[in-house]
Amino acid sequence: MDDVGVSKAPIPWWLAGMILGLVQVLAVGLAKPLGVSTQFVVADAKVLKHIAPEYTANHPLIGSDKYQKFGYGWWLDVGLIVGAFLAALLIHRWKLQTTTVWWRHNYGTSVLRRLLTGFCGGFLILLGARFAHGCTSGQFASGWAQLSLSAVPFTITLFGFGMLTAYLVYRKIPHIDK
Amino acid sequence: MSTIITGLVVGGLFGAALVLAALADPDKIIGTLRLKDFHAMRTIVVFVLVGILGTWVLEFLGLANFDIKPAAVASILLGGALLGIGFGLTGFCPGTGLACAASGRIDALVTVIGMFLGALVFILIYPNVVMPLEKVAGYGKTTLPEITGTPKAAWIIPIVVIGFAALFLTRAKKPATS
Repeated sequence: MDDVGVSKAPIPWWLAGMILGLVQVLAVGLAKPLGVSTQFVVADAKVLKHIAPEYTANHPLIGSDKYQKFGYGWWLDVGLIVGAFLAALLIHRWKLQTTTVWWRHNYGTSVLRRLLTGFCGGFLILLGARFAHGCTSGQFASGWAQLSLSAVPFTITLFGFGMLTAYLVYRKIPHIDK
Repeated sequence: MSTIITGLVVGGLFGAALVLAALADPDKIIGTLRLKDFHAMRTIVVFVLVGILGTWVLEFLGLANFDIKPAAVASILLGGALLGIGFGLTGFCPGTGLACAASGRIDALVTVIGMFLGALVFILIYPNVVMPLEKVAGYGKTTLPEITGTPKAAWIIPIVVIGFAALFLTRAKKPATS
């Protein structure tokens, strides 16, 4: 039943955008602009420190203090997971799902292929985010909030390649409830 | 201590907002990248505009905490492209991937596992690949107003105009089909 089309968003776009924007302003006022992806490297660095302590200590990136302690950014990511979990529960959108409407509409019910694509996509997402010094949060949203020069090349390739890839991968358009 | 609380509060609000906004919904992201469902795009436009204007206000009040990323243009172009491909394949980015995994999406959880591998490879290739690339077309930590010697308003006002133009162009058409 619910698999027929893309369902409506819980709240209107203008309200959603204002809330997200105000969270950004709160972050800038209290600590520093939003960012998510650095902490994946911090988590890996913590594990590497146990497996290969010497390699980690001498590494030009993860040997530094920023990647060896759980700071504001770490707790932001922990909070993000908890906040998303609670919000999804509260609005009754917490649901075990293995695939998406767009995927099913183009590739049928092949869950394994969706998961494999997800894994490879995740690999590219974080590798790319670190090459770019930030992701959609830290480089795009926060970059523009600060008028950072770095946001310009990032925006061009992120959305350029994002739109091209989506166009090539998701050819068939499902019903979208707007 | 206060770092932990600030991080948890800001992150918690951000995670909840991503779910409410349906940015933590890969179907909405793919819909926007395919230019078929503008909900996510309009949300992001408002998010960025409120972020820019709010940060500007905070700066006037002397309350803004900036964190400008270095404009390592070559590295950022490559990173944006890789992230864009992963974004277009999956409909996730680092923040929304975590939020989606927390809302019961197994495909997002697998994507997050791929992200940890991406971060690991980034660490491993950092000394030999990333560090040399960072020096190609590197302009340092600078902003658009700084590097061009122009006032902030000369950037913010046109960006706001472009944002409103994007919202106008993607407005819902009157005779609602669906």
